[in-house]
Amino acid sequence: MKTAMYAIIKKDFRGVAANRRLFPALFLVPSLLALVLPSIFVIAVHFTPDDPDILKLLALVPQAAPGQSLELTLWGLLLNSILPAFFLVIPVMASSITAASAFVGEKERHTLETLLYCPLTLRQIFQAKVLASFLVSMVVSLLSFAAMFLVVEGEVFFLAGQALRPSVNWLAVLLLVSPAVSLIAVTLIVRGSAKAQSVEESQQAAVFLILPLLLLVVGQFAGLFLMSFWLLLGLGLLCGALAWILLRKSMGRFTYERLLQ
Amino acid sequence: MSTVILQDLSKTYPGGTQALKRLSLCLRPGEVFGFLGPNGAGKTTTVKLLTGILAPSGGSCRILGVDPHTQPEKVHALCGIVTEHAQMYDHLTGMENLLFYACAFGMAREKGKARGERLLRELALTGAKDRKLAAYSTGMRQRLSLARALLHRPQVLFLDEPTSGLDPESAQNVNHMIRSLAREEGVTVFLCTHQLRYAQEICTRFGLMEQGSLLACGTLEELRAQTFSAQTLRICASSLPENLPFQRRGPQEYQAKIGAREEIPALVRKIVEAGADVYGVSLAEPTLEDIYFSLTAAAKEGSAL
Repeated sequence: MKTAMYAIIKKDFRGVAANRRLFPALFLVPSLLALVLPSIFVIAVHFTPDDPDILKLLALVPQAAPGQSLELTLWGLLLNSILPAFFLVIPVMASSITAASAFVGEKERHTLETLLYCPLTLRQIFQAKVLASFLVSMVVSLLSFAAMFLVVEGEVFFLAGQALRPSVNWLAVLLLVSPAVSLIAVTLIVRGSAKAQSVEESQQAAVFLILPLLLLVVGQFAGLFLMSFWLLLGLGLLCGALAWILLRKSMGRFTYERLLQ
Repeated sequence: MSTVILQDLSKTYPGGTQALKRLSLCLRPGEVFGFLGPNGAGKTTTVKLLTGILAPSGGSCRILGVDPHTQPEKVHALCGIVTEHAQMYDHLTGMENLLFYACAFGMAREKGKARGERLLRELALTGAKDRKLAAYSTGMRQRLSLARALLHRPQVLFLDEPTSGLDPESAQNVNHMIRSLAREEGVTVFLCTHQLRYAQEICTRFGLMEQGSLLACGTLEELRAQTFSAQTLRICASSLPENLPFQRRGPQEYQAKIGAREEIPALVRKIVEAGADVYGVSLAEPTLEDIYFSLTAAAKEGSAL
């Protein structure tokens, strides 16, 4: 049945790439979060005066290396503590567009019934749909990271003549926390899509899942908490386990009849 | 051996509408079963129950021994299904659609491509295979749906109004295909339609439905025998012997009610032996339409009583 599930994933992936309206929308928010905002921060830091209050504040931050310039310390803080949180939001926002229409989109196009006539269980169809949206989110996330890294490092090198060293936090975020959070969100959005009567209804419900992640970003800015590698690792493992359970159990009570209603 | 078995199959929708009432049927391999009735008779509900899309409220059904309610995916591997609501993807071409469904049915890409190309050729769609489905006409979509349903060589084929939207030539082509699938490959065809003349042309056995109930089931001959005790024989002859039970309808035209067509040779022999010239003999056999209207009228009378 792997061939059949792979066929659905490939078809959904192609559907996104072929949709001229959807494709640019997929990269709009990631471009803002991964390119525009970091560039503004980098430039803003460059023009920040050496205020003693800021220096006192930075002394409290664990990442601050003694003897490093204020500019480099702030850029380091930006790269390794604030920007990783964006990569929890980017994949979820990117995938929400495709995930929200996973089932209800097929229903609106009258293709759901045909899909249900394939020799796959509902769970297999559901998992294929989740994986398709998840892969979209991961592709967007990794491309955004590559673009963000090149732009930020390029700007810092241009302004300060040296590059920043990414912390180990990035490994935990990109390889564990971001995929796990994205998988949870995608599973819930696809599940919502199975219940929804229109794509709009499904998209509106998906927005509520993004809100807690936005709060996390705000938390990073406000300094409420700082993400350490171990915190991220623990969070990633917890989210991964939750994602796996959700993926296994989500379609338990769904029936063909309910899906086609 | 029966390929499709329905036993007291019933379906009541959550709103309380009773769409199917204790339907029992058996279908054999290689038969084209016409499941006939007006809109709302329960035809589509039956197909949905047989393909596992709906859960029965009562009774049971089996396709080649598999219960569609508990193992729908196994039934889908055995069946091909064409319904009005089962559409394909507009952003893919005809061939890409077939390749997708071939893979979804677990076929290897090359095998799926070869099968798809053959079906497209048989259904006169080769010229449109690289065109996006959005540019297909209703008839082309219908033919592509049939190709999609036949990709994995199903043993049972469910067709809901398969020739709707087709031009006469395409309809003839599709009918020929359905007949040869049944005759040469032993495929059981469950054909739902409200076009009785079309069904009479293509089906080998019929089930007549009204308001969720099966009015009658059998071959055309069986249905005629069940519904009409006599048939009308019309003879055009110079004269008729007076002892024969004929009524005069016009100059040299006579008609009589007979029980079976086997009575005709003896009657004609008597006319010829009496010295009359016979110019024409025709038996006005009841059509499927006549049978259906007779059955529905009888059902109404029965319910009125």
